[in-house]
Amino acid sequence: MRTYVLRRLLQLIPLLLALVVLTFLLLKLAPGDYATGLAENPQVSAETLDAMRHRFGLDQPWHVQLVLYLKNLILHLDLGQSFSRQQPVTTVLREGLLNTLLLALAGALVTWGLAIPLGVLAAARHNSGVDRALSVVAFLGLSVPEVLSGLLLLMLAARTGWFPVGGMRSLDWDTLPLAGRALDLLRHLVLPALTVGLVPLASRMRQMRASLLDVLRLDYVVTARAKGLGEGAVVWKHALRNALNPLITLFGYTLGSLLSGSLVAEIIFSWPGLGRVTYEAILARDQYLVVGSVLLAAVVLVLGNLVADVLLLAADPRIRDD
Amino acid sequence: MRRLTTVLMGLATLLALGAATGSTARSARPPGDPVPAPLEPMRVSMREPGVPGGRFVLGVTNDARTFNPIMSNESSSSDVSDRLFTALVEYDNAAQQPVPALARSWEFSRDGLTCTWHLRRGACFSDGHPITSQDVLFTFAVAYDTTLHQSVFELLTPHGQKMQLSAPDSYTVVMRVVRPYALLVHAVGSVRILPRHVLEPAWRAGHFASAYGVGTPPESLVTSGPWVLKQFVAREKTVLARNPYWFGVDARGRRLPYLDELVFLVVPDQNALWLKFQTGEIDAFDNVKAEDYRAYERGRQSGGYVVHDLGSALTSNFFWFNLNTVKRPGGPRPVGQPCVDPVKYAWFGNRDFRRAVSMAVDRDAIIRSVFFGEGVRNWSLMTPGYRLFHTPRTVAPDYDPAGAKALLARIGFRDRNGDGVVEDPKGNPVRFTLETNASSNPRVQMCNFVRDDLARVGIQCTVTPVDFNTLINNMREDFDYDAILGGLGAAVPPDPGMGGNFYRSRAVSHFWNTRQARPETPQEARLDSLFDEIVLLRPLPERQRISAEMDRIIDEQCWVIWLPTMKIKLPVRDRFGNLHPTILPHRLIWNIERVFVKPQGRR
Repeated sequence: MRTYVLRRLLQLIPLLLALVVLTFLLLKLAPGDYATGLAENPQVSAETLDAMRHRFGLDQPWHVQLVLYLKNLILHLDLGQSFSRQQPVTTVLREGLLNTLLLALAGALVTWGLAIPLGVLAAARHNSGVDRALSVVAFLGLSVPEVLSGLLLLMLAARTGWFPVGGMRSLDWDTLPLAGRALDLLRHLVLPALTVGLVPLASRMRQMRASLLDVLRLDYVVTARAKGLGEGAVVWKHALRNALNPLITLFGYTLGSLLSGSLVAEIIFSWPGLGRVTYEAILARDQYLVVGSVLLAAVVLVLGNLVADVLLLAADPRIRDD
Repeated sequence: MRRLTTVLMGLATLLALGAATGSTARSARPPGDPVPAPLEPMRVSMREPGVPGGRFVLGVTNDARTFNPIMSNESSSSDVSDRLFTALVEYDNAAQQPVPALARSWEFSRDGLTCTWHLRRGACFSDGHPITSQDVLFTFAVAYDTTLHQSVFELLTPHGQKMQLSAPDSYTVVMRVVRPYALLVHAVGSVRILPRHVLEPAWRAGHFASAYGVGTPPESLVTSGPWVLKQFVAREKTVLARNPYWFGVDARGRRLPYLDELVFLVVPDQNALWLKFQTGEIDAFDNVKAEDYRAYERGRQSGGYVVHDLGSALTSNFFWFNLNTVKRPGGPRPVGQPCVDPVKYAWFGNRDFRRAVSMAVDRDAIIRSVFFGEGVRNWSLMTPGYRLFHTPRTVAPDYDPAGAKALLARIGFRDRNGDGVVEDPKGNPVRFTLETNASSNPRVQMCNFVRDDLARVGIQCTVTPVDFNTLINNMREDFDYDAILGGLGAAVPPDPGMGGNFYRSRAVSHFWNTRQARPETPQEARLDSLFDEIVLLRPLPERQRISAEMDRIIDEQCWVIWLPTMKIKLPVRDRFGNLHPTILPHRLIWNIERVFVKPQGRR
C-alpha cells in the first residue's frame, strides 16, 4: 500500500513538469502578453509598455523564460511573481484556496448528501411514481445551467431576505463573536453551495440508482430476502455496500475537480475564491499566476484520484487482494 | 545654581504646556478630534455642512491591485489610491476646474515657463509627519523614474521634456518648463504625494514598484489624503477610515471626512450589483447597464434612492478602416506599403467610400436597440459630456442611405452582376470584416447593426468578435484587420490635450494609421500642429476653437465613423448629503470626504 502511494506520488513529478511546459507554451502561442492588456489605456505609451516587458522579462525569448521559471521552481520551489498584484504567486493562490475548498466541499456535501439517499429511494421504489418524480427533478436540475440557477437563487435571496445577496461574510464580520462568525459564514454559504451542488446531483443520483438496481438483481439479495430479512436491511445493509464501489471512484473525481468546478458560482455570488483568481489571471495574461494555478489544480486532481483509489482499496477487499 | 536651573526648566515646561493648551483652544477643534487642525487648513466649500459618522458602501466589480498611486494601472486601483493620497491640486468634477489641495495657491510667471506652488503649512501625513516640499520633490523624482513605467509619465513630459523642480524652502516648490504647457496644473494634479520618510529606502533599493502593494499591513501604509487603509481582503472588500491628520475642514472648522468608513465591496457580477443595491447592502455602484435604467426608475418610489441622470458618457464609440502602412522592415511586405490587401486599401483609402459608409449607418436605430433609447449621437472624441470642448455642429455625414448609394455609384461602386453586393470599378465585390472586443456586448451589437445597414447599400460586412488581446495585437502589432469597432474612455481633466495618443500621427492610438514617422497626409500634418498648439498655454476660447478645428478635420476625412454614446444614469441611496455624482470619473466618490449620512437617514 505504502509503495503504491509513493509510486503514484513520484509519477506526479514528470506529469507536473509536462504540465508547466504545456501551459507555458499555450500562453505563449496566444497573441499578446500582460503588457498588451494595459494598452487599452490611451495614456500608456508604447515605450512604457516596452519598459514594462523588459522589467518582467517578457522581452526574452519564451524558452529563456521557461528555463528560468523551471529553475526557480525546482531549486527554490518559487512560483514566481504575479505581474498584476506585484505579489508572490503563492500568496495570491493561498488567499483563494481555502475559500474555494470551503465552497466546493459544501457543494459536494449537498451533492452526495442528496444523491445517495435519493438514488437509493429511486432504486428501492423502482418504476414507481416516486422514482419517476425524482427522475424529472434530477433532469430539470441537470438541464438548468449554473448561471441561471445561481441568478434565480440570488433573486430569491433579494426578494425574501432569507439569505444575503452573495458575498462570503457580512461587513461587520470582524466585530462578531466566534459563534456569530460561523453562523454568518454558514448563511452566506447556503446558496452558492446549492448552486454548485445541484449541477452534478442528477448524474450522481442516477448512478446510485443504476448501481443499486444491478446489485438488487443478484442472487445473494434474493437469498437475503428469502431468509426473511426486512427490505430495509436488505437494501441498506447488504446491497448498498456493494453498490457503492463505482460511486467511490466518482467521489474521487469530485475531489479532483474541487478547485475548478465553482467558477460560475464564485462570480455570481461574489465568492472570493481561486476560480476568480485563475480566470482574472488568464484574462490579464498574468502568466506565472496562470501556470501556478494550473499546477495547483493538477496537484489537487492527482491527489483526489489517489484518495479515490485508496478509498476503493479500503472498501473492496477483492481489489486489495489483487 | 542647580536649583535655579531646575526651577527655570520647570517654568519652561509649564510655559510650553500653557502654549500647547493655548494653541489647542485657538484652533477650536470640536470635541473628539484627536489632532489639532493644521496652521493653514483647507476650507472645503459645500452645499450643506454635515455631521460625522456613518459608512458608505460602494459596489465595485474588481478590487485594487496596488495602493501605490504611481504604480496603479487600472481604475480599480486608482479609485482607492486617489482617496488615500492627495495631490498639490485636486479636480473639482462639478465645476470642471482644478482647486487647491496640498498647495494652498500657485502662480505662473509672466512668460508661462515657471509655476510656483505654495504648500499648506501644518499639513501632515497620516503618521503625523509633516508634508513638506521635500516630499513633493521625492514624489516627482519617482514619477520621472523611467525604470518604473508609470502611466503619468507622458502627461508629465510636455513637448518631450521633463519639468525642472526645485524647493527654495520647506513650503515652496518651483516648476520650470521649456515651453508653456496648458495642462501643467492638471499634470501636477495627477501626481499623488507620497511620504519620502517611508518610501525613499524602498525606491533607493530598487523595489518601489512593489511598495505599498495590497499586502501592506494597514498600519504601515502612511497616506497624505483624507483616508487611511483600515482593512483589505482580496476579492472581498477594501475598507478605508478617516485620516485624523488630513488638512480639510468644513466651514465650521470641523475635520473632514465626515464618514467613519468608506467601503469598496467587490461584486464581480453586474446583476448581483443591482440586486445588492436593492436590498440595501450597497449604497451606490458605477457599473451600470442601459438596459437596467427602466428598472432603476421603476423602483425609485419605494426603494429609498434617487436616480441621477448624468447625460452622455465620456466614452466615445466608433469604427475605423485599416489605413496602416508598414512601418518596420522584416515583415512580408516592404516598408511604406499598405498593411491590408491593396484592393481593399483602394476602397478604405477613398474618402468618399468612408463617407458613404458613414451615411449608411442608422445611429437612431443603434440608440433605440443597443442603448434602450438611453444614448446620444456623437461626432467627436469630445462627447457632450466634455462640457467645455464639445462642439455640437459637425460636418460628419449622418444617416442617408439613398445618398450613400448615390455616392457609391458616383465613385464606380455598382452591383453589376445583380447578387446584391456592389463591385468596385475593377469588378471586385466589396466585402470586409469588422472586428470588435467579444467581451463587450454593446460593441458586438453595434457591429451587427452596422453590418445590416451596410448590407442595405450593397456592402458585405462580416462581424468577427475576438478576444481582447487578439484585438489589441491586431490593431497595434501585426495590423492584420480590415476594420475595428472600439472606443476611447474618459480622462480627467476632460481636455483635448489629454487625447495626444489619438490625434497625433505618431501616436499609437491614432488607430487608422498609427506611429507615422512623419505625417503621411497634409490633414494629419495640420492635426499635429493643431495639437501642439492646444497643449501650449492659451486662453480657453482659443483652445476651444482649435479643438473644434481638429474635430472638423477628422470628420471631413471620415477617418473614424462615429457611433452613438451611452447615457449614464446612476441610482444612489438618498440618505447621503453632499453626494454629487458627475460624468467625470470617479462619478460617485470624487468628493466623498464631504459626503455625510443625513441625521434622518441613520440606522
